[in-house]
Amino acid sequence: MLNTVSSKIKEVSKLKYKEKPFEYWGPTPDESRKIVVNKSHGLRDKRTTLKEAVAKYVKNGMNLGIGGFVNTRVPVAAVHEIIRKGVTDLTISMQSNSICTELLAGAMIVDPDRVSIKRVEMAWWGYEIIGIAPLFRYLTTNGIIEVDDYTNYGMSVRFKAAAMGIPFIPIRDHGGSDMELVNRGKMIECPFTKKNIYVVPACHPDLGIVNATASDMYGNARLFGALCTCPEIAMASNHTLLTTEQIIPTDSIRKYPNLTEIPYPAVDAVVEQPFASYPGACYGHYWFDMEHIKYFRSLGDEFRKTGNKEPLEKYYQEYVFGCETFDDYLDKIGYKTLKHLRKMDEGQPIII
Amino acid sequence: MSEKDFAKAGDFTLADLMTVAAAREVNDHEVVFAGTGMPMVAIMLAQKTHAPNLKLIFEAGTFDGRPDVLPTSVGDPRCEDGASRASGLVEAFSIAQRGYVDLGFLGGAEVDEYGNVNTTVIGDYLNPDLRLTGSGGNPDINSFAKRTVFIMVHEPRRFTKNVSYITSPGWRVKKWPSGEFISRKELYGGAYRGGPSAVISTAGVFRFNEDTGRMYLDTYHPGKTPEEIKGMCQFDLDISRVSGETPLPTYDQLRIIHEVLDPEEIFLPKVKKA
Repeated sequence: MLNTVSSKIKEVSKLKYKEKPFEYWGPTPDESRKIVVNKSHGLRDKRTTLKEAVAKYVKNGMNLGIGGFVNTRVPVAAVHEIIRKGVTDLTISMQSNSICTELLAGAMIVDPDRVSIKRVEMAWWGYEIIGIAPLFRYLTTNGIIEVDDYTNYGMSVRFKAAAMGIPFIPIRDHGGSDMELVNRGKMIECPFTKKNIYVVPACHPDLGIVNATASDMYGNARLFGALCTCPEIAMASNHTLLTTEQIIPTDSIRKYPNLTEIPYPAVDAVVEQPFASYPGACYGHYWFDMEHIKYFRSLGDEFRKTGNKEPLEKYYQEYVFGCETFDDYLDKIGYKTLKHLRKMDEGQPIII
Repeated sequence: MSEKDFAKAGDFTLADLMTVAAAREVNDHEVVFAGTGMPMVAIMLAQKTHAPNLKLIFEAGTFDGRPDVLPTSVGDPRCEDGASRASGLVEAFSIAQRGYVDLGFLGGAEVDEYGNVNTTVIGDYLNPDLRLTGSGGNPDINSFAKRTVFIMVHEPRRFTKNVSYITSPGWRVKKWPSGEFISRKELYGGAYRGGPSAVISTAGVFRFNEDTGRMYLDTYHPGKTPEEIKGMCQFDLDISRVSGETPLPTYDQLRIIHEVLDPEEIFLPKVKKA
């Protein structure tokens, strides 16, 4: 039933991309600023459940910003709940991802009336050494979703510009690449050096989803290991849903304020969820579950190659729709597996 | 046999040969931007042999990580082991954009004779025959590092006259807005630097003419001839500057690859002997 999903890529292809009038694929900088200006800025207890936060902030047609990097500190728990709730006509923004975006893509293949992706602004979608992302390949090669391509740095500075409250940012690459012909950036003459410089538009998600190593109840968040683009995405988004591996006392935050990578005003909901990046890794807590990642990927690959979506459907029935909460999913994975993944992390140093 | 002896045929794989060739591109004290897989093995091999002071940047945000165990991806938490700084993508690439990176190791699906590389799409961008993973950090690293080495599988369809899509620009690229091919130096001016310095394929090692930006064959892998390799390119490969056969791995290098860096054969399979 994929043809029920809205996609304009075939029509778009008859146009020259750059002839399309420019539009932000989410809130404009002014719209986003207005929302931020008008929301409550006070310190308040933002702890809630994923079910409540997702019900409140996830809306059809929204731009969803996804934190983490490929398979590290990715917000999988939030994605599971978003799939359970359902969201259509989604725009996804991210630099590089694997599990989260493939889970959304798989949900769209299983039931496009519940979840559908309209387009994605991104740099990279794949599984690193494990292989290509089969569902991304399926959706793009069949023209079902539209893609706007940037580099990893390009997407990261687009979030950075948004986080700074400016409408665009110059960057010294993209030039000479075909991205220059097809993405929404522009080559301009620098008003100061008079040389060519590429500028990319700010990227404001309606909702950013980020998993933090630790946070207090107000949303002051610590990230250990690679920060990925999480601080920027949290600041760029109209609203941010923060899952955290653990809630820590605010006294600890105030003792080491330099460690706060995401400031509380940028966070709207705080959900304590251990293993929220599983089967991805979270530095200081647990390593990847390669076997589970490969297993899920193999179901997508089978669908891509044979058109048989039954194994995918079974996966979602078992692990997403068959679970009330993410903890139910972790129960199915089992304590022994999670314990092993904790051990594999080898106690990376984090300060709590 | 001594550790320093070159390995005999049958004692190493093509992947070993390429990894060692890639490691040879690294100089000591350089700052190197690493991708996942064979490039990471090559860089760490260089670090454990002739370039002990090289510094690694992993794009998720780590500077000078010194993992004992090979990370499985650039986002692997092990990348941070022993690092002098953990930050994010904005900072990692800003270090490169500012000019602190010497060498980048990258991959690609297609390359043309000017070193333009495609990792985005095969066929028409908007109606693709095959959509690939996308740009990732490829053009960032290639635009910011002093030089870049690409590691690729060699097939005629991959060494093509015109790549389907230029993800990472080579030595001659299209000028904005007229579309004519001009040199990258001219396009970017003095503020920019870098570009592909070598391509290491499954057939040989290729470099680029300093003036024309055209690719030439430098060394051919054992069992291949320059003429054969020319026949494996859709463009007219320059084979007038061949310096010889690609140097073979030593037993010491093979030991480091397979016993120290990748004992579990995650990236490089060992030679299977009966």
